[in-house]
Amino acid sequence: MGNFLVWVVWFVAAFACLGSAAAVVSFANPFYSALALIGNLGSLAVLYLLLSAEFVAAAQVLVYAGAVMVMFLFVIAYLGRHADAPWAGGPSWQALGAVAAAGALMVEIVVVVGLKASGRLAKAPDVGVAFGSPSEIGRVFLSDHLLAFEITSIVLLAAAVGGVVLGSQAHEDEPKPSSGSAAGTRAK
Amino acid sequence: MNEPWWIDLIKAVILINLLLGMFAYMTWVERKLLGRMQLRYGPNRAGPFGLLQPIADLVKLIRKESFYPATAVDFLYITAPIVSTFTALLAFAVIPWGEGWHIAGYDISGEIADVPISLILIFALGALGVYGFIVGGWASDSKYALLGSMRTCAQLVSYEVALALSVLGVVLMAGSLSLTQIIDEQQHTIWYVIPQFVGFVVFLAAGTAETNRPPFDLPEADTELVAGYHTEYSGMRFGLFSMAEYVNMIVLSSLCVTLFLGGWLGPWPPLGPLWFLLKVLILIGFFIWLRATLPRLRYDQLMAFGWKVLLPVATLNALVTAALVVAFS
Repeated sequence: MGNFLVWVVWFVAAFACLGSAAAVVSFANPFYSALALIGNLGSLAVLYLLLSAEFVAAAQVLVYAGAVMVMFLFVIAYLGRHADAPWAGGPSWQALGAVAAAGALMVEIVVVVGLKASGRLAKAPDVGVAFGSPSEIGRVFLSDHLLAFEITSIVLLAAAVGGVVLGSQAHEDEPKPSSGSAAGTRAK
Repeated sequence: MNEPWWIDLIKAVILINLLLGMFAYMTWVERKLLGRMQLRYGPNRAGPFGLLQPIADLVKLIRKESFYPATAVDFLYITAPIVSTFTALLAFAVIPWGEGWHIAGYDISGEIADVPISLILIFALGALGVYGFIVGGWASDSKYALLGSMRTCAQLVSYEVALALSVLGVVLMAGSLSLTQIIDEQQHTIWYVIPQFVGFVVFLAAGTAETNRPPFDLPEADTELVAGYHTEYSGMRFGLFSMAEYVNMIVLSSLCVTLFLGGWLGPWPPLGPLWFLLKVLILIGFFIWLRATLPRLRYDQLMAFGWKVLLPVATLNALVTAALVVAFS
């Protein structure tokens, strides 16, 4: 019964993932594409849950499906409802190339996973109780993967500083609102 | 633990009905209290003391013609209030409201779901609830609704950061993200409102902004925006948005009680839910009092307060707590 339930959840989540991913690139309206991307990230979180990585799943929803995508929607809603699709009217060889590249990537992933884990896929997962818990993830981050963790933090800091610099430059380039002169002419 | 699934189901049904009943009577309490604070009577026509007012309101909302703009995007327009209400109600599932009981061979725990990451789960659900507001405003195809949803979005995203950082001190002290364990720790030591007073104040301020309560109710500033993101909603769809807002307020008060005020702890543990309810009601009364006292902030003041006051204070609090926890452990 429990196993059957897992299968049903996996089936629904996996196909929701694929369907929403296809929807992201096929909607003409970018607002719908962003909503489909939220659906995609959400169904990925369900797959993480099935892999007993509950912390990663919650963080995925909180950070990606929540905070990051809200920014996407914010910008798209500001740009207006009838914005053009980003690549509408592009040459058709680009579409063919994209499909071919995606197919190659998929074959590659299947082959690599099959070769690496051919003997182990049929067995039950051997994960401990602590696997996927916040404390275990924190321990791995601060011991085995400390360098990668710290480099990521520097990259994020650089991105944040870059955002501030770009934002302040954009402000300087804008023509100053000539409120004084406008008020003056109106007074005349 | 001998707790079959149907006990959880019964608890969930009771809890959802309690929450909705509480939402209905919160509107009554709020109008009555506001009235008294402003030297008015408040609702006093339907039933004794106006006690039937929420029911009259409900009947009115349900019977109202559901009117919407011809250009509104149907599917999203209808889904948006449902998403907001659903996430608001779901968040309550992980909040512990009692010690747990042992009746007739069955164990009944004091929460619906005890997950080790319940605190992050509540924040994740809150992050998803924002979509109801922004999608609802966008799908209405109205400039006031869109502006309102933009404001909601900017405000919620800004204050979510301060809110999350303000609870970090509690998480560090308890050493856990599980709400039941945080209460256990408080039972053995001290209510965290005393060592984490700064975090408590930041949480209250950011929480008021998270739930769009005055003085942070800019998303629905009626003088500028008509009513904000739900301008084009009427009938029970508007009712759902309103429900989401009040339930969010109950959930936030409950979270505050759990993290800082010892949750269900109080004299004689079997009465836990009663102490819990009492504390939540006091906090809700505080929110209503704030509404009657403080005028609405200006938009730039709101943003400056969030980013330049609350966020640095919350960060500093987390850093100091981390240093102290390491020093004394």
